[in-house]
Amino acid sequence: MKNIIKIFIPNETSANSVGANSLYQDISKLINDENIEIIRNGSWGAFWLEPFIEIKKDGIRRGASYRNIKLSHLNTIEEFFLDFEKRNPFDINEIDFIKKQNRIVFSRIGHEDPLNIKYYKNSKGYQSLLTALEIGPQKTINRIKESGLNGRGGAAFPTGIKMQTVFDQDTSVKYLACNADEGDGGTFSDRLIMESDPFALIEGMTIAAYAVGASKGYIYLRSEYPLAKEFLIRAIDIALDNNYLGNNIQNSNFNFDIELRIGAGSYVCGEETAMMESIEGRRGLVRSKPPLPAINGLFGQPTLINNVVTLATIPALLLNDQSDFSQIGSNKSIGTMPFQLSGNVNHGGLIETRFDISLNEIVKDFGYGTKSGQPIHAIQIGGPLGIYLSSSMLDTSLTIESLQELKGSVGHGGIIVFDNSVDMAEQAKFAMEFCVKESCGKCTPCRIGSVRGVEIIERLQKNKTSKNDATLLHDLCETLEATSLCAMGGMTPNPIHSIIKFFPNELIEK
Amino acid sequence: MPIDSRNIIKPFIEEKGGLMPALHALQDHLGFISKDNIKELAIAFNFSQAEVIDVITFYDDFRLAPIGKNIIKICQAEACQSQNCKQLLSDLTSYFGLEMDETSDDLNITLKEVFCLGNCAVGPSVMINDTVIGEATTKKIVSHLKENDVQEL
Repeated sequence: MKNIIKIFIPNETSANSVGANSLYQDISKLINDENIEIIRNGSWGAFWLEPFIEIKKDGIRRGASYRNIKLSHLNTIEEFFLDFEKRNPFDINEIDFIKKQNRIVFSRIGHEDPLNIKYYKNSKGYQSLLTALEIGPQKTINRIKESGLNGRGGAAFPTGIKMQTVFDQDTSVKYLACNADEGDGGTFSDRLIMESDPFALIEGMTIAAYAVGASKGYIYLRSEYPLAKEFLIRAIDIALDNNYLGNNIQNSNFNFDIELRIGAGSYVCGEETAMMESIEGRRGLVRSKPPLPAINGLFGQPTLINNVVTLATIPALLLNDQSDFSQIGSNKSIGTMPFQLSGNVNHGGLIETRFDISLNEIVKDFGYGTKSGQPIHAIQIGGPLGIYLSSSMLDTSLTIESLQELKGSVGHGGIIVFDNSVDMAEQAKFAMEFCVKESCGKCTPCRIGSVRGVEIIERLQKNKTSKNDATLLHDLCETLEATSLCAMGGMTPNPIHSIIKFFPNELIEK
Repeated sequence: MPIDSRNIIKPFIEEKGGLMPALHALQDHLGFISKDNIKELAIAFNFSQAEVIDVITFYDDFRLAPIGKNIIKICQAEACQSQNCKQLLSDLTSYFGLEMDETSDDLNITLKEVFCLGNCAVGPSVMINDTVIGEATTKKIVSHLKENDVQEL
């Protein structure tokens, strides 16, 4: 057998955004030997290392970071190999950032070409679909219920119960809608699955559709993710060619197709009822619930709606060693959570771990402190509808329960670090400004209240001691919470409450 | 030969909720949605023209007039805020002499805000058409524009 040298250069948005594509072009020009092969793998999610180039030779795979490095001056591939060795290459699986994680859902990312279906199948892929087809829909749903999986999109609703509701509807037409409108600032776990392990999502959707009796699935993908779109289109085609989508999937009598729908720059379309309106071709106005989408959803039919990570987790639950997932954690915080660490931090990236990890471990052990070298001042958890914690709260555990106690939520798992240059009154104002921009306009408190909220906070920025404005802001937040149809209006006050409470005197002085 | 917009719309008419993909396809081909397009869409999907405009104007991505060949979207969401994206935005507005949502007279550049490109760990992030640029600086953006211009010639 020939001794092939493999060069891995990731093809993933963050890696490309710091130069992976141009490095690929420079290196591929040098190759004139058929024993050297370039593979565009996914990202390992250790984004501070990107572009992280690896070489596999004689069974050993090592990599080095090529951040801010140009290779256009090289003339031969040997020169590249020499350059590579000078950068002290290492095995990425040996670094703490990866070793300390518990990667179950993201176990495949980084290893190979994400569209290599052979690799997918050799690494436990599509075993679970075959299991589901063998044990039937109800037993499949039971397995998901038993796993304790809650939705990873933000609301943490029990996935199995939602599936049961759709399954129990006695209609011939049902839909599956995958919410890939990952809009929270500071989140990228859905994107990483779609770009670096798209078959996991497709398999998860296929199992879920089979379990609830849907024959058509939509992926509602935000337009800000053009590379994910490319990967999904190609992965859907490959799955069709291999009889993992289409008619009589794997010789069963189950038929299932996936259609990709692209959003058009609206955050609120990540809210499930607004998303349905958008798929149906209308303005993304939220609908009132009930009826639940599981009973009366897309085009008036029962619809299972889950986000990308939730659906991509389903295959892991049906493997023989599913206990891996379910035996982690307790209460509602079962399984692993892909936290996404970003902002002013040295080592940002995807951290799949148990929920009951402390914020300190995430920010210091994984994140390695602030990039600016200045002290941490605030950490936002759970996106624009989440909360800000102060640097004195680093021992907070990131379980669903402990964040609920602080009137926050894990949300979609975004964690953003700010150093002491942050102005918390500005962050409070941004919460309202974001609501002004993204409110669908259906509920008056959200549509107009957010505008008034910006004005009140602007006045407070000039006079922090105004009792009148403090009371007004409090009442406005209460109104938003009590009278908005969806989480956009209902949870916009969350970051503001947290700033008032955990950052005394920074927005309001008493 | 000019592209017949009715042929672009056609494949989506029978699709459930086909208006959104039809709007995307029209805009991808023609750059914006014209008044004639609105009439054609209304007929094709059995909507009133007002209903079609209703949908177009809800979404940030759809536009009723031509804009720049290079759409530069500057992320202003929280993760990029921690990486001084406000400064970057003001640098870019003064470099190009444009305000947000404004297009240069030669229809080359349009500046826009965006909220999260999912590139949060290597911010601040900017998207030029379909290309995301991490650790963005004015210099990086300008050189990206120049490189792409050269390729086109």
